[in-house]
Amino acid sequence: MRAALLRIGALLISLVLASVVVFVVLRLLPGDAAGATLGVGTTTDQLDQLRSELGTDQPVVTQYVQWLGQIVRGDLGTSFVSRLPVADLITQKLPITVPLSLSAFVLAVLVSVPLGVIAAVHRRGPVGVAVSAVSQLGVAVPVFWVGVLLVLVLALQARWLPAGGFPRTGWDDPAAAVRSLVLPVVTVAIAMSAVMVRYVRSATLDVLDQDYLRTARSLGYGRWHALARHGLRNAAVPVVSILGIELATSLLGAVVIENVFALPGLGTLLLDSVTSRDLPVVQALVLGLTAIVLIMNALVDLGQRAIDPRLRTAEVTA
Amino acid sequence: MSTRRSRRAPLGAALAVAALALAACGSGSGSGDSSAASGTPDASAEIVIGSTNEPTGLVRNVGGSSGVSQTMTRNVFEGLTSVDVDGQVIPTLAESWDVSEDGLSYTFHLQPDVTFHDGTPLTADDVVWSISEAIGPESKSARKSDLLVIQQATAVDDATVELDLSRPSQGLTFYLASVTIVKDGDTELTSDNGTGPYRFVEWVQGDHLTIEKYDGYWGEPAQNAGVTFRFFQDTTALNNALLTGDLDLVIAEDSPDQLVQFEDDPDFTITEGTSTTKQLWAFNDREAPFSDVRVRQALYKAIDRDAILSAVWDGYGQVVGSMVPPTDPWFVDQADVHGYDPEAAQALLDEAGVTDLEISVDYIPDDTTEAILALLTKNLAAVGVTLTPNPIDDATWYQKVYTDHDFETTLMGHVNPRDVLWYANPDFYWGYDNPQVQEWVAQADEASTEAEQVDLLKQVNETIGEEAASAWLYLDPQIRVARSDVTGFPVDQVTESFYVADIVRES
Repeated sequence: MRAALLRIGALLISLVLASVVVFVVLRLLPGDAAGATLGVGTTTDQLDQLRSELGTDQPVVTQYVQWLGQIVRGDLGTSFVSRLPVADLITQKLPITVPLSLSAFVLAVLVSVPLGVIAAVHRRGPVGVAVSAVSQLGVAVPVFWVGVLLVLVLALQARWLPAGGFPRTGWDDPAAAVRSLVLPVVTVAIAMSAVMVRYVRSATLDVLDQDYLRTARSLGYGRWHALARHGLRNAAVPVVSILGIELATSLLGAVVIENVFALPGLGTLLLDSVTSRDLPVVQALVLGLTAIVLIMNALVDLGQRAIDPRLRTAEVTA
Repeated sequence: MSTRRSRRAPLGAALAVAALALAACGSGSGSGDSSAASGTPDASAEIVIGSTNEPTGLVRNVGGSSGVSQTMTRNVFEGLTSVDVDGQVIPTLAESWDVSEDGLSYTFHLQPDVTFHDGTPLTADDVVWSISEAIGPESKSARKSDLLVIQQATAVDDATVELDLSRPSQGLTFYLASVTIVKDGDTELTSDNGTGPYRFVEWVQGDHLTIEKYDGYWGEPAQNAGVTFRFFQDTTALNNALLTGDLDLVIAEDSPDQLVQFEDDPDFTITEGTSTTKQLWAFNDREAPFSDVRVRQALYKAIDRDAILSAVWDGYGQVVGSMVPPTDPWFVDQADVHGYDPEAAQALLDEAGVTDLEISVDYIPDDTTEAILALLTKNLAAVGVTLTPNPIDDATWYQKVYTDHDFETTLMGHVNPRDVLWYANPDFYWGYDNPQVQEWVAQADEASTEAEQVDLLKQVNETIGEEAASAWLYLDPQIRVARSDVTGFPVDQVTESFYVADIVRES
């Protein structure tokens, strides 16, 4: 209980610190939204007028306090550039990015956990070597390249799936929506699996070398049986932390993939907003992503304790 | 008034190469639903157009997003006048106008039977309101300074509007084309109530903007049921969508590499038209050594513009010698005034006493600018000038170069028609300051006849060309690719709007 409260307190402090960093760093960037919005042809007076309407002529501290006040009230503010509410812009994109990230993550877990374990158990066999080699290749190849290849082969040549975009009617036509997400999901999943297989493999290898597993084997358990009975639970501890990080990065990875597949998701929004210095949008997105990463870390922590009782005792004695 | 930048991500180049490699070994079967064009225009067709130029917002009277003019002007919103696809000013909501002897009073007679998309009729009050908004204190329109010549707008009766000017203005009817008429009192940020052949349906930022045919339209009705503009960041994704049949038309291809995959395919038509996009290597003329006309001329002569154009556009486009494209009324061909001549360049530099010149160039990186920069660097090295590249992003460009004038030289594309007038503004970012040019421009707008205006601006054009106020590298071509059953789109891009009402798809 005390541990949980401490965790939440630390989370809140991290979030506030993150909000300061996000806010200050964005304002250190040269260039302002007023210029980018008005473009060539407008006068200095018009620029000043827009800056004062946007409030970007105020001292940074004042701007920060105002922004924080808004956030606490649950108001994400208004886009500098399009003048649309930031909350609307973000909720519009969630139905694309969230299914994309989550399905890619689930697919990657389903593929990488069994493959990683097999690669560890048969580490010297042809299967283990092959899995390791392919995963190494997967880590080395840039994710957008994989996306491009899939588009070329499955969309442009075979015409099985759309090359990009998302149905204008959104999820009203679920089949079309799913079809447009297949290639991006597979692309992200391939990149994620490549990383996760390696972690699962090395975590399993660590466990295989442990005394208790040798003891179990000596008691007559088969290799697989021993592993299933005693090993996987231990191997899961480091793997869970990687899963947490990977889930969070899958959201960030959307920036590249959404660009390749012309998906109007959060990644596209983030890229657009940074280019035009649309600070309210960037701040909301970055803070949101930071919060997700921090929360994931907290959950990973709790998850690891649930798996491994020794971590709980360590906490008490500490 | 805007610059337009290609927003192709760096990875675009890699993707294009891969696309070409595979396209080359493809069967070109184009199995798509090209639905065997039988030649009858399908009035119920919805046309889907791909573009990399998304509006930044739909707010009227704000600055220079060419995206909003491209999609909405003439299609959803109309002005008293319009600039047609050939660049000529034509009457639109004003059926005709009279000009007083002294040129100080314009009386516009409105088209009868015009209704807004909500069904209410257009009146003179709506026109007065819209013009007052465009020149009012809140207006951040890039045309505001041009329109400030209007002292008063009055509704004479329901169908007549009078504009009183502080001085005669030859450019008035051209500038009025950018003032879109909305309902009296309408300040909605994303107002959708215009008078055009289409009504606005929706804009999903980062994805698409949809308009549909307005049945109560006063003029020639749209030839299609509606148009969706789909926006892309990446040109490879854009062209993939065209290849797979998700798009009917791509407004602008930004490199010839993308064309290979469409060239020998009967399912697609490629058109090459002219644009008004001038690629500039602009100097900060207010600072040494660029304040010395000989240095500017030398730098200009040192550049092999034909080689640059051919490297970037592979035979498309046109080398120009000044800010004025052939479609502006005051065009004079000056491509050879400072033709490629490294020896003359060297001589001019020596004369100016400039040695070991090192120049920084601010630019927004993409494949095109990188290619230009590589050749520029090589050309200048040949006359002993070192170029230091300084890549920056859009927002930084606006601050550093446009607002603060904190730069030596910069690479930029200028989109708009008739924008030579910036050379008469010494406060503009490139700081060209020639009182004679300023006087000619002032006289030109106040000229009593159009011929007189054109003559004066031709002199402006020739003078800035001769003095190498900037180095104008080339004029972009306007290359569009369409599915071959889609016709009726404008081939040239010499206006800010992209008029879509004549586009048809055959069924």
